[in-house]
Amino acid sequence: MSLASTALRVRLPLWRAWLVVALLLLWFVALLLRSLYLQVMNTDFLVQKGDARYSRVIEISAHRGMITDRQGEPLAISTPVEAVWASPQDIELSADKKQRLAKLLDLSKAEIDKRLADTSKEFSYLKRGVPPEQAVKVMELGIPGVFLQRGYRRYYPAGDVTAHILGFTGIDDNGQEGIELTYQKWLAGQVGSRRVIKDRPGHIIEDVESVKTPQEGRNLALSIDRKIQYLAFRELKAAVDENKAKAGAIVVLDAKTGEILALANLPSYNPNNRVKLNRNSTRNRSITDIFEPGSTMKPVAIAAALETGKYTPESRVETSPGYFSIGPATVHDAHPQGLLTLSQVIQKSSNVGAAKIALTLEPEYLWSVFNHMGFGQLPQSGFPGEATGKVRPYKTWRPIEQATMSYGHGISVSLLQLARAYTVFASDGELKPLSMLKLDEMPAGERVFSPRTAQEVRAMLELVVQPGGTAPKARITGYRAAGKTGTAHKQDGNGYAADRYVSSFVGFAPASDPRLIVAVMIDEPSNGQYYGGTVAAPVFRNVMGGALRMLSVPLDAPTTNTLLPDDAPEIKEMV
Amino acid sequence: MYYPASQHVRSEYDQPLLWSVLLLLAFGLIMVYSASIASASASRMTGFNESYFLLRQCAFLAAGLIAGAVAFQIPLRGWQQLSPWLFLAGIVLLALVLIPGVGREVNGSQRWLSLGVANLQPSEFMKLIVVMYAADYTVRKAALMDNFTKGFMPMFLVMLLIGGLLLREPDFGAFAVIISIAMGILFLGGLNWRLFAGLIVLLIIGFLLLIWTSPYRMQRIIGFMDPWADPYGKGYQLSHALIAFGRGEWLGVGLGGSVEKLLYLPEAHTDFLLAVIAEELGFAGVAVVILGFAWILVRAFLIGRAAEKQERHFSALVAQGVGIWLAVQAIINIGVNMGLLPTKGLTLPLLSFGGSGIVANCVALAVLLRVDYENRQLLKGYAV
Repeated sequence: MSLASTALRVRLPLWRAWLVVALLLLWFVALLLRSLYLQVMNTDFLVQKGDARYSRVIEISAHRGMITDRQGEPLAISTPVEAVWASPQDIELSADKKQRLAKLLDLSKAEIDKRLADTSKEFSYLKRGVPPEQAVKVMELGIPGVFLQRGYRRYYPAGDVTAHILGFTGIDDNGQEGIELTYQKWLAGQVGSRRVIKDRPGHIIEDVESVKTPQEGRNLALSIDRKIQYLAFRELKAAVDENKAKAGAIVVLDAKTGEILALANLPSYNPNNRVKLNRNSTRNRSITDIFEPGSTMKPVAIAAALETGKYTPESRVETSPGYFSIGPATVHDAHPQGLLTLSQVIQKSSNVGAAKIALTLEPEYLWSVFNHMGFGQLPQSGFPGEATGKVRPYKTWRPIEQATMSYGHGISVSLLQLARAYTVFASDGELKPLSMLKLDEMPAGERVFSPRTAQEVRAMLELVVQPGGTAPKARITGYRAAGKTGTAHKQDGNGYAADRYVSSFVGFAPASDPRLIVAVMIDEPSNGQYYGGTVAAPVFRNVMGGALRMLSVPLDAPTTNTLLPDDAPEIKEMV
Repeated sequence: MYYPASQHVRSEYDQPLLWSVLLLLAFGLIMVYSASIASASASRMTGFNESYFLLRQCAFLAAGLIAGAVAFQIPLRGWQQLSPWLFLAGIVLLALVLIPGVGREVNGSQRWLSLGVANLQPSEFMKLIVVMYAADYTVRKAALMDNFTKGFMPMFLVMLLIGGLLLREPDFGAFAVIISIAMGILFLGGLNWRLFAGLIVLLIIGFLLLIWTSPYRMQRIIGFMDPWADPYGKGYQLSHALIAFGRGEWLGVGLGGSVEKLLYLPEAHTDFLLAVIAEELGFAGVAVVILGFAWILVRAFLIGRAAEKQERHFSALVAQGVGIWLAVQAIINIGVNMGLLPTKGLTLPLLSFGGSGIVANCVALAVLLRVDYENRQLLKGYAV
C-alpha cells in the first residue's frame, strides 16, 4: 500500500481538529479554575479539615517540684527518663543489633522477642524509665522502628531513710503517700499544652504554637535536717536490730519552733524500687500508730498536780508497801520505795506515787490538761493519716482509770503526739505547733503550764538520767539531758500481754536551754532487754548527742559528766 | 519560501516541545522524590530506603530517553507498517497479563508482567499502539468512513476486545484513555458524525451500566461525589488530596514541606503526585503542569496539521493521537486529584512514578518529534 494511493481518498476536516483541541483546552481551563477555587477560595475550609486530621494538642508534662531538707539538700527529685518503645510492625532487627539492644536495656533476647511477637501491633514498650544517656545509646544503634518517649521519674536520694516522710508518687506522677500526697498541688505544677502537626505514624513534625505554657512544680523545703535524719535512722535501726524488735520509730523536734527535724520508722522500704511494698513497711508508725505510752506520761500528771499549787517538788507521797488497791484493782511498783518526793516519783518512776497524786485531782482538770497537751487531738503536722489517739471523756472515768492514766495506761497516743507534748516542758510551759516545713519565724505556742511548773518538771526529768534514775544510759557527754523512760505491756485483746512490751524514751537537751526533743519507741524488743531505760535510752543518747554537736549547740555540762559511776543499782520501773 | 534572517539556522526538530517535555520529566523526578521520601523510609517493602523510588524513577527515565532516541530513528512509514503487528503483540500481552501465575496482581488489579528487574504494564504501551493502529485503520478505511458496517464495525469489534481485556484486569483508566484515543482518531479521520453521535450515546449507556453493575466502581463514584460524607472511609484518599490543594494556596508550603505526603495521602508519588505538587508549590505549580500539557496538546495538533498539509495522513493522525492521549490522561488524572472525576488509578503522564508509563510516554513523544522532523525535512525538499 503506497502513501500516494491512499492520500486521494483521505480527508481530515480541519474543523474537527479544532473542535477536539478546543474541547480539550476547555477542560484544561476548567481544571485551572477548579485549582484556583480549591487553592485560593476554598483554602480556609480545607486547611481546617487538614488541621483536624493532623494537628494535635499534646500535653507537656510539668516538672514536679523538688523536695529539699532545711539546708536545701535534695530529698526528692524528678529526673527525666525515656521509655524505649518499638513498632513491632516496622522494626528491623538483625541478630547483632538485637544482642546489643538487649545488653543496653538489660533484657534477655527472649524478652525482646516476646515484646515484638505481635507484628500486627504498632506500639510496644521495650523498657520504661531508661536513663537518658542509656536511651541515647539505644538510638545510636539506628534500629528502624525503635523510638523514645520522654517522661519523668521521681527519685529519692535518701531511699528508705526518708521513705515515710516523703511518701512516693504513682505512675501518673501524683503523690500517693507522705509529703508527696499532702503537698501534691504545690509540687505538681500544671501541665501545659502545645499545638503540633503529626505525621500519620504519630511523630511530631512541626511545632505550631504554645496553647498553654506548663507551670513548673514548686520546690518545697522541709523542716527535716538530712544529717540528723540519717543519724536518727541509723541509730534506730541499730537498736531495732540489736533488740530483735518488731518495729521502731523516732521523732526529733526543734524544741523552740516545733519543727520536725527527723522522723523515721522501721521497718522501712526503698521508695525507688517499690516492687515488694507491703502495708507493714509503708506505715508511718510514729504518726499513724497509737500505743499506750506507759511512764512517759507521768510528768504530765505530776505537772498537772504542781500547777494546782497544792504540791511542790518536795511534797511527799507514801508509796509503801509498793502497791495499793482501788476497788478490785491494784497498782504495783517494781520495788517498794517508801516515802517519795514528787521529784523522786518521776526519778524512780513510781506508779503508786503517780496514781495517788492523780487521784487527788479533779477528773475534768486532768482531762483538760491531757487535751491541752495535744492528746486526743490531731497533731496537725501536715502528714496524711494522723492518729488522734484515745483519751476517754472524763465523765466516764472510774477512779482506777484516772489512776492508771497518770502512768500511761488506759490512754493511747502516737509517738509524734508524745514528742510534741514534751515541748511544754522543754519550753517554759507552752505547747508548740508542729511543722513539717521549714519555718522562717518562731510560731506562737499555746500556754499549758506556768513557767515555774515547767521548770520544776524539767529539773525532775534531769534526775531521771542521773545515777539513781531509770535511765542513766541517756546521759550525754557535755550536755545536761532530761527525759523520761516508758515501758508498757502491749495490749492484747481486752487485757495486757505478759511478755510483749513497748519501750520508749522521750527527752530533751540541753536541759539549761532545751534545743531538741527526741522521742524513741521500740516495739516488742525480744532480745532479753525491754526496759525503756535499757532499750530506748541509748538511742536517745546517741541521736541527741550527735544532733547537738551537728548543730554546734554550746555545751552546758563538763565533758566529764558521764564519767560518774554507772554501777549504781538500776532503778526498774514498774510496768 | 522566504525565511527571515534569524531563522537561517532553523533547527531540524521542535526544540520548544523537546525542552518542555524534558523539563516536565525532570520536574516529575523531583516531585516523585519529594512525595515518596516519607513513605519509602517508613516501608519495609522499600527496605526503609528513602531514595528507593528516586533511584528507580531515574532508571526509568534513562530507559525512557534511550527508548525515545531509538524510536526517533524509525520513520513514520516504518511505524505504519509495524502497527498491525504491534497491535497483535499488544493484544497478546494484554491476554498474558490475565493468565494466573503469569500476570502479577497488585492491590486487586492484575496489570503487570514480571520481567525480573522490573514489571511491564502492557496497557501503558497499548495506548501508543492504539494510536498507531487507529491512525493506520483510518487511513486504510478512509473511503468507508460513512459506512457503518465496513467503516465503523471492524474498529468497534476490535475495541470491544481490548476493552474487555482491560476491564478484566481491571484497568478502567486505561480503558477510558484508549477508547478516547480510538474515538478521537476516528473522529479526526472523518467518521460520519451521525455514527459518532450514536456511538457516544452508546458509550454513555455502557459507561453507566458498568458503573451500576460493579460495586467497586460504584464505591469510587460515591467517594468522589462527596468525600466529606465519609472522609475516613471511601472519601479518605480524595479528602486528603483536596486538603493538599487547600494547604498549597498560591505558592505552596515549599518544596519538601508537604504534610499530606507523610503517609496521610495514599499513592502520593503515583496517581496523586499532583496533590503533592499542589501542596508544596501551590497554584503556581499546578498551573505550570496544566499549561505544560496544554502546550504539548497544541504542539501535537499543529505538527499534525503540518503533516496533513503534506498529505501525510498517517503521520498527522499519529501526532494528533499522541496529543489526545496525553491530554486526556492528564485531564483525567488532574480531574481525579481535584475531585472532578472519580478515582481511577491513572498516573499523570511524564511526571508520575512508573516505568512502563514513562517509557511509553517517551516513545510517544519521540514519534511526535519524528513527525515534526519529517515535516521539516520534507519542507526542505529532503526525502524521509
